[in-house]
Amino acid sequence: MKTRIFGGHADRMGLVQVPGGWLLRLLVAMILGLVVGLAFAGDKVEQPIEFPHDIHAGKMGINCMYCHTYARRSRVSGIPPLRKCINCHQNIESVKDKPRIKKLFEYWEKQEAIPFKKVHDLPDFVRFSHERHIQRFYFELGRPVQEVCGYCHGNVSSMTVDEKVEPITMGWCISCHQKDHPNPTNPADLVGMKSVYPRMNIADAPAQGTAANTSHGPNDCWQCHK
Amino acid sequence: MKNNQRRDFLKVLGWSGASATVGACGYTSIDSGVETVKSYVNPEDFNIPGVAVYYASTCQQCDAFCGIVGRVRDGRVLKLEGNVESGLSGGKLCGLGQAGVQHHYNPDRLRKPMLRKDGSLQEVSWNDAMLALHKRSAATKDGRFAFLTGPVSGHFKVLVGNATESFGAGSQHYVYDPLATRINRAAAEQVLGSDVPRLALDQASLIVSFGADFLDTWVSPVHFAGQYARFRKASDSRPRGTLVQIEPRMTLTGANADRWVPIRPGTEGVLALGLANALLAGKLPAGGAVPPALATAATAFDKARVLAETGIKEEAFDRVVQLLRERTPSLVLSGPSAEGHAHGYSNAQAILALNWVLGNVGKTIFPPAKLPFPQIAPDSGDTASLGKLTDAMASGKVDAVFVHDLNPVFTAPSFVKFREAFAKVGFKAVFAQYLDETAREADLVLPLDSAMEGWGTHVAAYQPQGVEMTVQQPLMERLYPDTRGAGDILVELLKLRRPADYKTFGDYYAYLRAALGANRTAFSNVPADEEQFWTEALSHGVLHVNTAETKVAAKPGAVELDFAGASQAVDARFPYALAPVVRASLRDGRHANLPWMQETPDALTTIVWDSWAEVHPKTAEKLGIKDGDELEIASANGSCKVQAYIFPGIHPDVIGIPVGQGHETLGRYADGRGVNTFRLLDPVFDRKTGELALYSTRVGVKPTGSRRVLVKDEGWKSGNVKTQSGRKLVVTLSADKAKLSEEV
Repeated sequence: MKTRIFGGHADRMGLVQVPGGWLLRLLVAMILGLVVGLAFAGDKVEQPIEFPHDIHAGKMGINCMYCHTYARRSRVSGIPPLRKCINCHQNIESVKDKPRIKKLFEYWEKQEAIPFKKVHDLPDFVRFSHERHIQRFYFELGRPVQEVCGYCHGNVSSMTVDEKVEPITMGWCISCHQKDHPNPTNPADLVGMKSVYPRMNIADAPAQGTAANTSHGPNDCWQCHK
Repeated sequence: MKNNQRRDFLKVLGWSGASATVGACGYTSIDSGVETVKSYVNPEDFNIPGVAVYYASTCQQCDAFCGIVGRVRDGRVLKLEGNVESGLSGGKLCGLGQAGVQHHYNPDRLRKPMLRKDGSLQEVSWNDAMLALHKRSAATKDGRFAFLTGPVSGHFKVLVGNATESFGAGSQHYVYDPLATRINRAAAEQVLGSDVPRLALDQASLIVSFGADFLDTWVSPVHFAGQYARFRKASDSRPRGTLVQIEPRMTLTGANADRWVPIRPGTEGVLALGLANALLAGKLPAGGAVPPALATAATAFDKARVLAETGIKEEAFDRVVQLLRERTPSLVLSGPSAEGHAHGYSNAQAILALNWVLGNVGKTIFPPAKLPFPQIAPDSGDTASLGKLTDAMASGKVDAVFVHDLNPVFTAPSFVKFREAFAKVGFKAVFAQYLDETAREADLVLPLDSAMEGWGTHVAAYQPQGVEMTVQQPLMERLYPDTRGAGDILVELLKLRRPADYKTFGDYYAYLRAALGANRTAFSNVPADEEQFWTEALSHGVLHVNTAETKVAAKPGAVELDFAGASQAVDARFPYALAPVVRASLRDGRHANLPWMQETPDALTTIVWDSWAEVHPKTAEKLGIKDGDELEIASANGSCKVQAYIFPGIHPDVIGIPVGQGHETLGRYADGRGVNTFRLLDPVFDRKTGELALYSTRVGVKPTGSRRVLVKDEGWKSGNVKTQSGRKLVVTLSADKAKLSEEV
C-alpha cells in the first residue's frame, strides 16, 4: 500500500515522468542518485573565520556541548558567545600569532560578534528542539556525544567549518521518527525517560516492558509544525 | 504482480532520489550559507538563545497604567501579558495593551531628531538637537514658557514640574487629556468625598450605569472587567448581579447589560432625580442617607415629568426603581455621555448622590488610599487646559512651548483654533514617536523611545487597593540609536538649568534609582539593602506605598444642582445630537497607526479600518438613508462626509460617529482613513468645571448621493438580527413582545 501512494504521488508531480520502459527509469534514478552524491560532497560554506572543528572536537576531543552549550537547554544549540573562545585562547601562547586567532581577537577588541553563516537552516515553519533530542539520546539513553550530534550533523570532528552532509529534509527527519525502538525492559532505564513517557511506570504496567513492545518518535504534524 | 512490484520499487527510488536532488538544487525551504547567525559577545548567564525571559513593566496605552510583563527572547520583546502582581491588571491585559508592541516595532517611528531650517524640518544629529533645545530655552524669558503633557504621575511628573519651574514664575505646566473624566471627578469629590473613589463592582447585586463604559473605555477597564466577572457569578451570599445601562448610544458595557435604556441625551440628571424622588417616597435601604438639597431638588421631578423629558418608557422607569429598592447593595455610576453637557456636573452629582440614598457608600464605594507624596500623585488632566494654553499662545504670552506625547493639532476641535495659536509661539519643541499633525508644526522634533525601551514610574489615578506604583523598565535595547526617553531629555535639560539639584545624575535611570532608593522605606515589604531593593522592584514591577487607613465619609456632601438652560430650543439646521464615540482600540486617535487596532472589528458595529455614522433605523427611514449611503454631517463648527451604518443601539435623535480616525500624517496605517470627529465639536462647556461638553454638539444630516461599501465582519446586512441566512443563529424577540419585567 505504501508504495502505491508513492507511485501515485510521483506521477502527479511529474518529477519522474520519464517516458519509456523500466530500464530507462532505472538509469534516470541512478544518474539522479549520482548527482545527489556529488551535490552533497564538499558543500562547504565560507565563514569569516575558518573554525577548525577537527582540532577542537577531533584532536582535543572537546565535548560538542562545551561550546554549543544551549543544545541541552533550548531550541537552538547556539553559536558560542565570543567570550567562550577568548576564555581559553587568552591563555594559549602557542597559537597566539596564528592568523585565525589574530582575527578572533580583532573581533573581541571591537566587542563585535563574528557573523557566521548558518549552515543547517531550517525554515521558520519548522520547530526543531535541540533540547528534546539531546535530552533523549545523550542524557537518557547515554549515547556518546559525537554519535548523537553526528547523526544529523555528520562527522564534525573531521571538518574545519561545519558542512551540511545530511539532507535534513522532512522526509529524512521522519525516517528516523518512524524507526521502532523497543521499550526498555528495565524500570531503571525508564526513569530518565519520564519526559517521553510521562505517565508510564513499568512497575505498574509490566506488559509495556517486553521486547515486543516498541514505540517511535512523534508522528503528529503539530509536533514539528507548531 | 512482479512487474507492478518492480515498477513501484523504481518509483520509490526515483522519488527519494528526486527529493535529494531537488534539495541540492535549492528547491526546498532548507537553506545553507544564506542567513547570518550572530552569537552574543559576552552575555549574562541567564541569556539562553531560544529561551524566553519575562520582564515586568507598565503599559502606556491608556491611563489605567496596568502592570505588564513582556516576553523577551534573544533580546527582542515578543508579547505582552498582564503582571499578576499588579492589582490593576490582575495578570490580564486588554487588546489595546497587547498592541503596545506595535508602537515599538512600528515602521513609521521617528528615528532621528528634526530641526526646522529654512522653513522645513530636516534630520539632525542628537547633539545638534540638544544644542538647539538648550540655546532656545536659555533665550526664553522667565515666565513665558509652557509645557503641555498628557496625564502624568510618578517621577516624570516631578521632572516636568521642575523643568517648568526653571523657566521662572508664570511658566505653566498644562495637563491635557481629550478624553478627561474631570467632570466625573469633580462631582465625585463633591458628593462622595473623593475624586476617584475605589469601587467594588463584585460586591454589588445591581449596577446602574449612566453611560459609564467600564468594560471597554472607562477609567480602568481591565480591572473592572475582572470585578464584573465576579459580579456576574452567583454565590450563596449574593444573587447573580444585574446590570442596567442608561445611555444615548450603546457601548460595549451596554451590550452586556440585562437592561439597556436609551435616553434623550442630556436628561440623565432628570432621570436620576426622578429615581431619587421615587426612592425617597418609600423606605430607604439600610444605611441610606439623603444628601442635603437632594430631597428638595427631587420633589420637582415627578414620574410624569421624567418620562416626558427623558423619553424613556414607563415600564422601564418602574422596573429600575423596583430593582434599586430590592437589590442592595448596588452601585450607580456616571459616565461621559451624562457628563458631556453644560449641566454635566449637575447630572453627575444627581447620579452619584443616588449611592448615598441607597446606602452604597461603604459597601460598594470606598474612599481611595491617600498617597503621602503629592509630588508624584497622578494628575489626570482635563480639556479646559487646552483652551487656557491656546488663549495664552494666541495672546502672545508664550515664547517657548514643549509638547510631550500629545497631538493637540489633531484632537483640538476646530473652534479652538489651536494650530493658529501654536504657530505664534517662537520656539515649539515636540517630543513624539511619530511625525504626527502636531510634530509637523514644530521647530524641533525629538524622537522618543517607545514604552518598551524606557524607564519610568507610574501611579494610576484609579487604585484598586492601597497605592501601587508600577515600575517601567526597558524590555529590550533601543531599536534605533537616536531615540531618547523623555525623562533623559529632561534630566539633561535640568542639569543645565538647575545644576545644583541635577548635576549628580548621569541620566533618568540614575535619577530614578537614586530617588526610589532614597525613599525605599516608604514602600511595604521591601528589602533594606538598596541593591536588593532595586532588583526586587524591577523583577516584581510593582511597589506598594505605605498608606494610612482612610475612613468612609460619614455624611454625604451637598449637591449643587444647576439645570438652567438644559432644555433649550433646538436649532432647526442641526436637529440631531452628535455622540462622539470613544473606541477602546483607538482612544483619542493616538493608536490609529497600529494595524492590529485598525483590524480589530468595532465591538458594536464590527466595522474595520474606517469611520461611520450610526443612524437609528427609524431615523434612517425618515431620511431615506440606507446602509453605506454617504452622509454629510455638519455642525455649526465643522463638517465631514462619512458613510451611514444603520444601528438600533442608538437613540433616534442621536448620530454616533467614532473618534480617532481622520489622521492626515500619523503613519501609513492611519493616514487618509475616516474622519476626525473632534473637529466638529461645538463650543459648549460645563458650567462648573469649564470642561468641553463632548456630548452637546448638534448636527444636521444630509445624504450626498454617493455610496461606499462598509467593510464589516457581520456580513452585508447590518443592524438587522432578523437576517440570519434563514437559520436561527441568535434567537430574538422584539422588545414590545417580550415581558422584560419577568426576564430581569
